[in-house]
Amino acid sequence: MSLEKKDEHDHEGWMEERDLTAVEERYLAILMWLDKRLRLVDYLELLEDMYYKVNLQMPKSHTEQYGLDNKFWYWYPLYALGSFSTLAYLIAAVSGALLGFYYAPAAAASAGDPTVAYTSVTSIMVDLNFGYMLRSIHRWSAQVMTAAVFLHMLRVYFTGAYKEPRELNWIIGIVLISMTMVFGYTGYLLPWNQLSYWAGQIGVEMALSIPLAGEWVAQLMFGGFTLTQATLQRMYILHVFFLPFLVTALIAVHIGIVWMQGIAEPH
Amino acid sequence: MSDNDTPETETDGGTGIVPPDDETPTWSERKERSQGLSRLTYEYFERARREDQDLRQESSYVERDVLGFPAWPHEMIRNLALSSFFIGMVLFLSATLPPEMLPPADASSTPSVILPDWYLYWSFGLLKLGPLNPELALLGGQKLMADRTYGVLANLVVVGVITIVPFLNKGSARRPVEQPFWAAVGVFGVVFAFTIAALSVKNLVPIGSHLLFDLTFLLPFVFGFITYAVLKSMREGYMFTLNRRYYRLRPPK
Repeated sequence: MSLEKKDEHDHEGWMEERDLTAVEERYLAILMWLDKRLRLVDYLELLEDMYYKVNLQMPKSHTEQYGLDNKFWYWYPLYALGSFSTLAYLIAAVSGALLGFYYAPAAAASAGDPTVAYTSVTSIMVDLNFGYMLRSIHRWSAQVMTAAVFLHMLRVYFTGAYKEPRELNWIIGIVLISMTMVFGYTGYLLPWNQLSYWAGQIGVEMALSIPLAGEWVAQLMFGGFTLTQATLQRMYILHVFFLPFLVTALIAVHIGIVWMQGIAEPH
Repeated sequence: MSDNDTPETETDGGTGIVPPDDETPTWSERKERSQGLSRLTYEYFERARREDQDLRQESSYVERDVLGFPAWPHEMIRNLALSSFFIGMVLFLSATLPPEMLPPADASSTPSVILPDWYLYWSFGLLKLGPLNPELALLGGQKLMADRTYGVLANLVVVGVITIVPFLNKGSARRPVEQPFWAAVGVFGVVFAFTIAALSVKNLVPIGSHLLFDLTFLLPFVFGFITYAVLKSMREGYMFTLNRRYYRLRPPK
């Protein structure tokens, strides 16, 4: 035995003293080479951990334990409202992306009186093949999503599903329902017809009546104190850029938390 | 990877799956080199895991002894059926009730009816609460804030109150019968959402506007009280059945 301190990390020496086949040797060499560069061991550790977690015995759920299946499936349609609103969101996303190919958010008047935005919507409805149906699907999926979201909130309230440990998800849900309504509002303004215009007017007045920050908010959201091209442009960008990102991310978090915590089942 | 090939006793029942035991490195062992906050995090994880395990061992909860309801095909087919039905409903609605296109925006002509979409009626109605804005004697009969600021504030208050519900109503009760008061609050809210929506479209509702304004605040209370009374009277019977089932499943020792 040498006096020299043994190098614990001398993997080559360790390989030599083992009796390895050629395949094992190659394998280990490649593994070490990769590990030195990519720290594979850390990921293996994660995988190992996951493997044990997946194979754990799950506890019986409340419904299983107390034989409440009959109750749960009886109320199941109400418990599906969350997935229904997600589904409607997806339909609206797809149909909305298709509508976006043909819509132009310009409030400037084209040759005649109506604006470019208005004429692009009418041309989608009148000239484009399947365009009327597309707009109809987009509008109805939005309406149904909003309705489903409201009913979902009522279901959660009346079954007490917001209680500990689900407070955070309730708050995320409130943010999501508000954003759904902003989604609806911004979408409502895009055709730039009479109702859009005057709903936009109400929005500007609401923003202006906020104390202190009112004018700043009106500038930020509506691009001014009267409705102009800037307003339509901002509504459009909110509707097709900011809100989709935020809402999709929040829905993912919302569902992720439900997945982690499990569904609050009826008693 | 043990260098000395001593045959170990099999403890895994041949499945090859071994739960983490004393020899499995703990989080703190794995992360011994880390410092400061991350070190603290892992130490906490370690404690939390131990606590979890202790709770599991001492509690009476039942582990799954049979396979659960299979996700495929049972669960998947139910979900597919429901989803297809739902998508079908959306397509049916859009085919039969397509949206109309109103006249183009015109800043010079105000339409007789200005409305947001239906889901914003409640918010629109809250903007019309001017008559409730108090004229304070302290300010010499002046209002503290403009009516429209008051309306926007009402919106914020409503959303804020809904947000803090989980922090007001605690406990493990789930059914409305277990908590008549909170169910009544819920019914109050729902009815108020409808009445305030009706208030927002008051020129379309064939009732006098003063009566409508009074009903807006009266009806939610009426329905709330009815809910409370009904649930309170149902409560005893319900709790009896619940308790009977509970004690049947867990007979008192």
